[in-house]
Amino acid sequence: MKTKYLRQLVIAAALTVGGASVAAADCPVKVGVALPTSVDWGKPIAETALWVADMINEAGGVDGCPVETILRDTQVDAKVGVDAAKAMVDLDKVQLMMGAVSSGVTLPILTSVTVPAGVMQISCCSSSTRITGLAEEGSTKGLWFRTFATSNVQSAVLTKLAKDAGYGKVTVFYKNDDWGQDMASLLDNALKASGIEVAASIAITDNQPSYRAEVTEALGGNPDAVILALYPKEGIAVTREWISLGGTTKMVGANSLRSEEFRDAVGMQYLGDFIGADTSSPRTASASAFVEAYKAKFGGEPSGPGLPNSFDAAAISLLAYHAAGNGATGAEIAAKVPMVTDPAGEPVDANVEGFKKAMALLSEGKSVSFQGGTGAVTFDANGDVSAPAVSWVFTETGIDERQYIPLEEVNAFIQSLN
Amino acid sequence: MIGIISYLAFFGTVASILAIAVLGLNLQWGNTGLFNGGVAAFFGAGAYGAMMLGGPADPLQFGAFELPYTIAFAGGIFLAALVAWAVGLLTLRLRHDYLAIATFGVAVALEAVARNAEWLTGGAKGMRGFPRPFEGLFEDQFTYNLAFLAFVVLILIAVYVGLERLVRSPYGRVLRAIREDEIAARSLGKNATRLRLEAFVLGSAIIGAAGVLYVSFYAFISPQDMAPILTFQIWAMLIVGGAGNNRGAVLGAFLIWGAWTSSGFLLAKFAPTAVQIYTGPIQYIMIGSVIVGMLLWRPQGLLPERIERTKTGNEAPGKTASQG
Repeated sequence: MKTKYLRQLVIAAALTVGGASVAAADCPVKVGVALPTSVDWGKPIAETALWVADMINEAGGVDGCPVETILRDTQVDAKVGVDAAKAMVDLDKVQLMMGAVSSGVTLPILTSVTVPAGVMQISCCSSSTRITGLAEEGSTKGLWFRTFATSNVQSAVLTKLAKDAGYGKVTVFYKNDDWGQDMASLLDNALKASGIEVAASIAITDNQPSYRAEVTEALGGNPDAVILALYPKEGIAVTREWISLGGTTKMVGANSLRSEEFRDAVGMQYLGDFIGADTSSPRTASASAFVEAYKAKFGGEPSGPGLPNSFDAAAISLLAYHAAGNGATGAEIAAKVPMVTDPAGEPVDANVEGFKKAMALLSEGKSVSFQGGTGAVTFDANGDVSAPAVSWVFTETGIDERQYIPLEEVNAFIQSLN
Repeated sequence: MIGIISYLAFFGTVASILAIAVLGLNLQWGNTGLFNGGVAAFFGAGAYGAMMLGGPADPLQFGAFELPYTIAFAGGIFLAALVAWAVGLLTLRLRHDYLAIATFGVAVALEAVARNAEWLTGGAKGMRGFPRPFEGLFEDQFTYNLAFLAFVVLILIAVYVGLERLVRSPYGRVLRAIREDEIAARSLGKNATRLRLEAFVLGSAIIGAAGVLYVSFYAFISPQDMAPILTFQIWAMLIVGGAGNNRGAVLGAFLIWGAWTSSGFLLAKFAPTAVQIYTGPIQYIMIGSVIVGMLLWRPQGLLPERIERTKTGNEAPGKTASQG
């Protein structure tokens, strides 16, 4: 008797929740941001996201309503990140969630918080192909987007650069985390498919006092060149040991090594043959506009990983929110994302004037092409980003781009690998 | 309102899962005096064991036998117990801080295995898609979450009651005797080595059960969930709650996890925007201060251990005396 009553109560309560979420159209518009602010590289990513929200507010806010960002720290701990996301979805009723960085945190947030609640989630920095698999089987219900190129695109571009440079036999050093392991297996396939022999593929675990064993193993393979899928910290340590033990200076590096810290610590005399890959298109005016705006705001180069991606994730999702209107559900916001990234739309810049213009056009029901920090981003059916690529080299004065690889060429190369 | 209930149910579920792990540690440290510095390893063994047996087929990962939930549940606990047995055989000769370092090392090693043995554990990407138990019985997510909370709380109560009976039994008294003075216990003919191993395996199996519930709830496990921070969190809960007291262990779990999550919530809500970016570090400092404060001013925990002496006469029969 008692249990029956309780069940009715629960069902009644559950029905209320369904009814209540539609009518909510209060100001300000609350937006959830779950990022690892307690980690050194996580803080600037969060700062960039909050900065975009400020710019959107300056441009008039989402559907005339100011944006209120709720920033929660994930501490790179799945329990903490999921709890933070759950609190924002349940208590603050956010319909849009930005985050997280680690795929190990992003994935449980996606599967146990945002998708069940119908909230849109966009990540600046998670690259795991596991999430693509999830999207392919329909488990993300179209609510998931990311502005970080998947490991698939990154590994294809690295392979293309190695092939264009004429290397016949390479050794891969990869960071021993979810991104690095993904990269290693994808690189292995891509390199072999394009006729390059893989002498060895060697995992580099963080914070080791020495990488002599790994480097010695790599030397044994006697490769023409090495491919580095590493972050600057362990990248510096490995590259130094590699060169000091007589390894080749022919190196191809992932975009994570695009840092002055890496160049200065390794030494320019050893980096003459280094080629870097990046999946963004920093040649567009908007990308340099982002860099200028970032410098004006924070007084330094946006040199950390994921900053333009964080900018674009925040801008695209907030513009889509504007197009969907205040009170929109997560699915309604997600449905408007293609209007913001329509290649045929009116190009808009990544600054306050651009946002103003974009909002006016979107309000009229016209689509725009947002020109962000990583170029004119578009998403495929799985919420994965595709972007043109660029190769770069280190120089005495900084980092110079050398070759621009348009989107069509990147896609054609990926096709040729299959 | 409904959002608050939904969140509290979620919070209660996670806190209850952690409380089960704290109870397991309490049997080891609170009652037997075994310093287990590798809580995360047994938690992870339970979670990975259940995932391998009950998880969905995936070409990238080992196992994925899609066995029924009960078998996956038992398998996870069994794996945790098995790991504990092997670790215990090797390390339980060690005492106190040596045991702590050895078990901590084992936990780090197991995390490295989970991170690197891609054929077995999916590597750093982890394993996903554990079928959530009994989900088909419920129409909507909200009711399901309440039912899952009830399920976890039931298990928590069962573990609590079982452990209470255990520690009040003669067996529990022997464990405490070993904790207080092992030589004295030996002189009375108690096989201390064997009893220490038993307590270690049983406690680790309970921690493994918490791991199984964790993977049932999140449907995802990765090496990140086995990081040393988990061991630290479970220990903090036991220290604040009160080692040796099962009620204290549960209270500590709810309090510390509550402080961990609500500090983030409150800082996000009330801290000025300029400070918000630093809420992560502030949160760490606050939690660290609470633990240091506890250790300085109330080292026995909020609910200290209460030793029930076996009394004859005015004590109700059957409570402790009759079983001795």
